[in-house]
Amino acid sequence: MRLRRVLVANRGEIALRVVRAAKALGLETVLAASAADRESMAAREADRVVTLGPAPARSSYLNAELVVHAAKATGCDALHPGYGFLSERASLARLCEQHGVTFIGPSSESIEAVGDKLAARRLAKAAGVAMTPGSAKLESAAAAVAFASQIGFPVVTKASAGGGGRGMVVARDAKALAEGFERASVEAKEAFGDGTLYLERYVERARHIEVQALGLGDGRVLHFGERDCSMQRRYQKMIEEAPASAMPNATRARLHEAAVDLLGSIRYRNAGTVEFLYDVDRDVFYFMEVNARIQVEHPVSEMISGVDLVRLQLEVAGGVAPRVEQRDIFPHGHAIEARILAEDPRRGFLPSPGRITRWRPPHGEGVRLDTAIEEGTMVSPYYDSMIAKLIVHAHDRPGAVARLRDALDAFEVAGVSTNIGLLRAVASHADFLANKLDTRWLETVFLPHYGQQEG
Amino acid sequence: MSDVTAKDIEALLQTFEASDWSEMKLKIDGLDLFISKSPGARPSPAAGEMAASAPVAPASAPAPVVAAGSAALKHGAAPDHWIAVRAPNLGTFYRSPKPGAPPYVELGQRIEPMTELCLIEVMKLFTSVFAGVTGVVRQVMVEDSELVEFDQVLFLIEPDA
Repeated sequence: MRLRRVLVANRGEIALRVVRAAKALGLETVLAASAADRESMAAREADRVVTLGPAPARSSYLNAELVVHAAKATGCDALHPGYGFLSERASLARLCEQHGVTFIGPSSESIEAVGDKLAARRLAKAAGVAMTPGSAKLESAAAAVAFASQIGFPVVTKASAGGGGRGMVVARDAKALAEGFERASVEAKEAFGDGTLYLERYVERARHIEVQALGLGDGRVLHFGERDCSMQRRYQKMIEEAPASAMPNATRARLHEAAVDLLGSIRYRNAGTVEFLYDVDRDVFYFMEVNARIQVEHPVSEMISGVDLVRLQLEVAGGVAPRVEQRDIFPHGHAIEARILAEDPRRGFLPSPGRITRWRPPHGEGVRLDTAIEEGTMVSPYYDSMIAKLIVHAHDRPGAVARLRDALDAFEVAGVSTNIGLLRAVASHADFLANKLDTRWLETVFLPHYGQQEG
Repeated sequence: MSDVTAKDIEALLQTFEASDWSEMKLKIDGLDLFISKSPGARPSPAAGEMAASAPVAPASAPAPVVAAGSAALKHGAAPDHWIAVRAPNLGTFYRSPKPGAPPYVELGQRIEPMTELCLIEVMKLFTSVFAGVTGVVRQVMVEDSELVEFDQVLFLIEPDA
C-alpha cells in the first residue's frame, strides 16, 4: 500500500464508512469537516479532525481548494471525496493530481469524459453500447411521422433547446404525433425561443438498472453485478436492490459486458457505475450515464458479492492489485437497501431537521445499517436529509423483502419525521412483493393512494 | 514585554510536556505563564492577572492529534472583555505580507477596525483578516505559517473602553 494518511472530505455515514475502511487497512485518517460536523461520529473515530469552514456546504465541503489545502497541510497523501459534494468534480481530481495527493477515484480526464452527457454518449457509442433510438432535428410533422414509423411507436418529442418537460409530447400513433408535433413545437418556441424538435423512442415501462464496476486503470474492469434502482421519487432513489431479478440472464450478461466495455475503453480507474434504462416490454437496455464515484447504494452490491467496495477503492488508489478476479465474483442471494430520510411524506416530503431523541435501529441476521446517527444526534438543516441506509440480505428476493418489512417494523425513531412509515407501506405493497415496478411506479401508482389511506 | 521569545516558550512547553507535571506557573519580569495538561484548568487567583503576552498553546505536535487542550488556555488566560479575532476558514496563517517582512501587527500595537492583522492562505490564494475592532493587540495565538482551522482564535484584542 502506497498510501499512509487519507483525508476524508465528506460527512455523514459515508465519511464514517471511509474512516473505518481506511483504519482497517492501517491508514491514518483526517476528517475535513464543517463546523456543524465537528462532533460527528466520523469526527470521533478519525485520527484527526480539521474544521474547513462554517456549516453551509459552499463554504466548506464544496470548496475544492480548501479541501486540498487541508490534505496537504495535514500531511495526507490521499483524498477520498465520498459521494455528492465535490466527488465528481474534475477540478478536485485535477487539483489533487497537481499537488501530489492521490485522488481516490477516477482521473480528472475520466471524470470529464463521462461527466458531460454528450461526451458520454459519444463514448458509449464508440464502445458499441446501445442508446435510446432518436432522430436528428426534425423539420416537420411529416418528417417526424416518417421517423417514428421506422423506430416504432410510442415516441416522445423533445425540445432541442432545453428540457424540463417543455416541448415533450408522448405519441402512441401517427395521428397523435402529427397533431402533437405542432403543439410541442409552439411550446418549445415559447419556452426556449426555438421550436426545433427531435424524437426519441418512449419507454412505457422503464427500470433503472445500473452496473457496479471497479476499473484498475489499465483497461481491466471488474464488475459486481447490477442493481435495480427503479423505486424513485423525482429522480431520487428510495429503494435499491441487487440483483435486478426482473431481468433475464442473457440480457444481464450483455448489460455487464456493455458496462465493462464502456469503462475499459477509457482505462477507467476506481469505482464507477454505468446506468441504463431497461425497457421491460422490449427486453432491451439503453445507456443513460456514468457515475464516477462510489454511490449511496453500493452496499447492496457488497452484500451479494461479499466484497468491501470502499476497501477496494483504497487498495486500487494505493496501487494494490485487488485479490479478487472476475470469476470469483458472483451473486449470493438478494439484497435490498432502503434510504431512511428525515423528511415528512405527509407534508410534501418536507425536510425535518432536529435532534434525534430516540434511535432504536433494527438488528439481526442479514440486517446492516450504515449510519452516523445515534440518540442525541442533531440532524442538520444544511445538508441532505438521508440519516441511514437500511440494508437487508437473504437467500432470495421474497426472503429479503420479508426481512426488510421486519426491520422497518422494528425501526424506532423520534425527534424528527421520517419516511419509515412510507417505506413500510411500500414493502407490504402487492406490486413490490411481485416486483412489478418501474421508475414511475412510486409517483403514479403508490403515492396518490398513500396520502388518502393515511387520511 | 520581557525578552522571552516564542522559541523559549516552545522549549518550555516541550520540557513541560515531557515532564510528569500537571501544571506550571511561571512569572518572570513582564511574563506570567500558566500551562496545564487538563483542558478545564484555570490559573489560580495569584497568577490570574497575567500579562498574557505570548502564545501559550501547547507546542503543535506533528502527529495527527487535535490541539484541543489549547482551548482552555486561549480562553482561560484572557480577560472576558478581550475580543477574539477568529479564522474565517481553514488555511495557513501568515503574520506578514511576505517572508522576511515585518508582521502586520505587533503585540501592544493599537489597531482600528480596518487594520490588517494577517493573511490566511488557501492554495496560494491569500485572504486578509481585518481587526473589525478598535483596541490593542494583546495576544497572537498562532505561530507564523501554521495551519489554522475555521473559527480558531488568531488574535486577542483588548478593545477600547
